[in-house]
Amino acid sequence: MMLLKDASNVEDYLAQGGFKALRKALEFGQDEIIKEVETSGLLGRGGAAFPTGLKMKFVRKERKTPKYIVANADEGEPGTFKDRVLMERNPYQILEGMIISAYAIGAKKGFFYIRYEYKEIAKDIERKIEELRRLGILGPSIYGSKFSFDIEVVLGAGAYVCGEETALMESIEGKRGFPRIKPPYPAQYGLWGKPTLINNVETLANIPVVMSMGGANYSRLGKEGCSGPKLFSVSGFVKNPGVYEANLGEKTIGEMIELTGGVEGEFKGLMIGGGAAGFILNEEYLDMPLCFKDAKERGLFLGTGDIIVFNESVNIWDILLNIAKFFEHESCGQCFPCRYGTKRMREIIEKIVRGEGRKEDIEKLNATARAMKIASLCPLGASAMLAYESAMKNFREELMGVIQ
Amino acid sequence: MDGKVLEIIEKHRNDDSKLLAILHDVQNEFGYIPEDAIKTIAKELGMKKGEVYDAASFYSFFKFEPEGKHEVMICDCIVCHIKGSERIIERIEKEFGVKMGETTKDGKFTFKIVEGLGYCEHSPVMMLDGKIYGNLTPEKAVEILRGCE
Repeated sequence: MMLLKDASNVEDYLAQGGFKALRKALEFGQDEIIKEVETSGLLGRGGAAFPTGLKMKFVRKERKTPKYIVANADEGEPGTFKDRVLMERNPYQILEGMIISAYAIGAKKGFFYIRYEYKEIAKDIERKIEELRRLGILGPSIYGSKFSFDIEVVLGAGAYVCGEETALMESIEGKRGFPRIKPPYPAQYGLWGKPTLINNVETLANIPVVMSMGGANYSRLGKEGCSGPKLFSVSGFVKNPGVYEANLGEKTIGEMIELTGGVEGEFKGLMIGGGAAGFILNEEYLDMPLCFKDAKERGLFLGTGDIIVFNESVNIWDILLNIAKFFEHESCGQCFPCRYGTKRMREIIEKIVRGEGRKEDIEKLNATARAMKIASLCPLGASAMLAYESAMKNFREELMGVIQ
Repeated sequence: MDGKVLEIIEKHRNDDSKLLAILHDVQNEFGYIPEDAIKTIAKELGMKKGEVYDAASFYSFFKFEPEGKHEVMICDCIVCHIKGSERIIERIEKEFGVKMGETTKDGKFTFKIVEGLGYCEHSPVMMLDGKIYGNLTPEKAVEILRGCE
């Protein structure tokens, strides 16, 4: 395993070759590191799958200083827990990736933003940062080089929207977590208006892998144009729920479910794409390779890499109501289409679940979904109806069966 | 109280990201964020009282009134939901005579529904004073809570 190692203390991490990639990187030029990451084809692991090398290049070329780097551990999607397990089992690899990235873009200060629900892990990361300072791996002149860098841990306080990068930066600045209008992007206008590189923690943990084996070798892991190891959170009705690692494109959804010991009960359907902001799929998708590209070809996203498995006991309208309630609560309220749309979706679905659904309600749901998709300010509002729309496509008979 | 709040602010004086850290420490100290603390924070950070409250009130885990001795968060995300969180919630409401979001009359527990604790491999789960309890049944949940001092 390249990500899911058991190295929660520094001795184990060093014994497994930890921080070798950093020492190698410090001998490289900054642009050379970015070139390696670009060659690797590494795509962001937080949900959006944006090319990591390109993002680094954008920040690198900005003239404004200081520059910042942010590790996003605000893992809030239901059914997604891979960042937590990675922080528990292999935290130093995230920190190492963060230090290498900071060196490459020219940042002296980083922030590690962790959701409130993981506050015990946040304390542990803080202790590890202190430990790395003592070892000379963080702080002034790292490994005796001219490069100085330090990290501050920021604990969130319960706001799903803060996983969105600009909302997260507002939160670090001590404000409400309202998403900003993009552009400008964080690379140009990030924390306190300065160029900022913000990456998911799993993305950062991939950086030492890229540096160790070289970008070209990394690009050959898995599938062309969709390379490298990826963590998958598998939950719901499977025999052994947990986090599993596989190279992108290497396994199909069905094979991944088999890896966890198979379905508990009779398979009915599944969700992928990042919990609430995901897709409800049927058995036709079991042979889809777990790869960003394959997902895109089918009009889906792999998102955070979660798979929630449903058996015969699961009612699809009930799931949709749970998701609608989630979005109503988590809408930050800044823009109208999302604030009102999420409420309206919940009200209509509640009515349907009560057994009072009529054809007009479905029309209203469709219209609301369309408006939210077009007009919401950030991905929260634009993704709130994905589950509904995909369920309508894949479980139409069941859903329409209760409509009068 | 003022002295303690000033001490907390001083501790974070050199942090770049101050406000959330200060609010967390104040809540840890007093169990909630008292109005007087907001006043002190605003004064020390050169903000308006309303600005501090505006930011703080955005986040679900900051509290502005004292709550029960133990904080119980029951997860009702998609995964916990299909694994039976609703039955756990019903049973707790019945057993303790409260609705979710309320505090028991003896002030012992405050119950909340949350939407994603991030421990889905152990669903259904609840968090009691920051500690995770997984693979719950309604009976097991009640037993854990009854065992609480």
